Amino acid sequence: MKKIIVSDPTLRDGNHALGHQLNVRQMVMYAAASDAAGVAIVEVGHGNGLGASSLQVGESAIEDLAMLGAVRAVLKHAKLGVHIIPGFGTINKNLKPAIEAGVDVVRVASHCTEADTTQRHIGYAREKGRVAYGVLMMSHMAAKEVLLNECRKMESYGAEAVVLMDSAGAYLPADVSERIGFLARNLSIPVGFHGHNNLGMAVANSAAAAEAGATLLDGSARGLGAGAGNTPLEVMIAVLHRMGYSTDVDLYKILDAADLAERHLMPKIPTISSLSIASGLAGVFSGFAKHVERVAAEYGVDAREVFRELGNRKVVAGQEDVAIEVAIELAARKGEEK
Amino acid sequence: MTSKRRDIVREDCRRALAGGTEMLAPLRNSALFVTGGTGFVGTWLTEMIACLNDEHGFNVHVTLMARQCGRFVETAEHLAARKDVTVVLKDVRSVLDLPPETQWIIHAAATPDRRVHASDPVGAVDVIVNGTRAMLVAAVQLSQLRKFLNISSGLIYGTQPWDMPAISESFCGSLDCANVSSGYPEAKRFAETLCAAYQSEHRLIISTVRPFAFIGPYQPLGLPWAGTDFIRDAMLGGPIRVHGDGQTIRSHMYPSDMAYWLLNILVKGRSGQAYNVGSARGVTLAEFAARIADCVPGRPRIEFGVLGERRPPASKRVPDVSLCASALSLGLSTDLDMAIKRTISWNQTT
Repeated sequence: MKKIIVSDPTLRDGNHALGHQLNVRQMVMYAAASDAAGVAIVEVGHGNGLGASSLQVGESAIEDLAMLGAVRAVLKHAKLGVHIIPGFGTINKNLKPAIEAGVDVVRVASHCTEADTTQRHIGYAREKGRVAYGVLMMSHMAAKEVLLNECRKMESYGAEAVVLMDSAGAYLPADVSERIGFLARNLSIPVGFHGHNNLGMAVANSAAAAEAGATLLDGSARGLGAGAGNTPLEVMIAVLHRMGYSTDVDLYKILDAADLAERHLMPKIPTISSLSIASGLAGVFSGFAKHVERVAAEYGVDAREVFRELGNRKVVAGQEDVAIEVAIELAARKGEEK
Repeated sequence: MTSKRRDIVREDCRRALAGGTEMLAPLRNSALFVTGGTGFVGTWLTEMIACLNDEHGFNVHVTLMARQCGRFVETAEHLAARKDVTVVLKDVRSVLDLPPETQWIIHAAATPDRRVHASDPVGAVDVIVNGTRAMLVAAVQLSQLRKFLNISSGLIYGTQPWDMPAISESFCGSLDCANVSSGYPEAKRFAETLCAAYQSEHRLIISTVRPFAFIGPYQPLGLPWAGTDFIRDAMLGGPIRVHGDGQTIRSHMYPSDMAYWLLNILVKGRSGQAYNVGSARGVTLAEFAARIADCVPGRPRIEFGVLGERRPPASKRVPDVSLCASALSLGLSTDLDMAIKRTISWNQTT
């Protein structure tokens, strides 16, 4: 039976959905439940990873090391994972103390065409004897051949697995099969997939990834995550088991963990908003949503059209200001049409 | 570097030279020029020359040329400070002329670091192709040059067929030239062809060596190779993580033997001939990890396929070194177990 390693980013990506306000009590409670269910890796942190807490992208309710220390103490079987984006998180200030706090798995992420930025972080994690993954975000923006080259860079730096993130929730299952299958055939290290649910495809995409050769899959309780949310973990486990995959995760216990998360972590269950669908179709990171809504209201234009134009311009996280430019142009065009 | 580290390396050189120094007699009172001189190969060559000079009165002067020497000065300051060693900071691609007294050249400039091959494939290829060309042009001007030794790579053979026990120098192999991963070995192949062209047109005396895998002192444990990964994981208390099912086969040579072989091939190697340099003793990565674990107190645990691996087909890379053994009477002074123990010992000595 083919085995899937399950990584649970509820306490990291889920922080996006909660303005990075998860507290220690919530983290400990959920981490213990996820651990008891048999999840292999429990990921913890600010939504954007180690060192990202800031006025720019949102401040965490608690510091990185406080989260890590608290969750470390309750994990009995699961490995403790972190997400780090070089630039947000530095080696000396963030990664070194995190490893000293007991992190087992370091997932070093970059935009899908910028794997070069991950070399030192991956190397450092390996030097310290930790498991290191390379993560390519916004992977729908690059062709499979480009993704393979970027993954090969990460492999050469010492990454022991690579994970494709569908950060904008833009993939359909056929897209996932094509990319994951191509990587799995051409890389010697395991390939993983992290879905987002903008088009309601996260579970189907994760299943397609498994069928195409992925052996690492991410899923969050009730899909708690950025934008329309991640792949709902409990649904993914049920589907994988139905498909004949082994995950080491106890279905009833992960259902209990999801119930617990719903009661104690989330003010409301993630839903696919109209704007999330627009951002997924446009292939734009869900983190743009608040900016887009604001500028659309300010300039009197349709937020969905702003997303569509942002997608045409292939914007990436950090280029949120472009939304203003787009809104101004759309408003001007609207004025001309009148 | 601590005296204990120096002692380990000097003992290694003595053990390799116990095979005989008389074959190296042509090196006496000569000038050797080494490109990539502050790297792994250059450092070990310099250790061996230092031993020959100190203990056998060879009186060889070594000029080490490299783009950078920070790590060399840091880890081998005892070599950098020697009067019989000169370090020249220069990019091999910009070489116009060489010290006129140069009698021997070992051209080792290139990085075998696959991180660089992945991040800067153009730069990696450029150093090999244009660096080799610049060195050959400069070598032609030397009136006293006796031999040019081109350091190629065992990677030029491409994939070793599973049913082939070992790769001999006559195996042409194949590489996917459209694949960016082939940049380094393709450049090395081209450099060999360039050497053949200079030998034909300018009557340069050139031998080539094709190094395989090594394990030993001066190899940074941060390099993402199986040997360095396993040793580093073991020294950290484990677990030693083996990707796949551990059935991939590799062989490892200890670097003092590598340096001794290179000097022998430099002096006695036939012009136009390529020589494999490495250990003919292939072991699976599973066995390799087990042997490393045996050398560490507490015997760290070994994990296989912990990340749910797809188990890609096992590969093999083992050189046939019978040419060096028969034509040059070369053998190993350090077996794999001793190599592992001495590597760990050197790294534990700070």
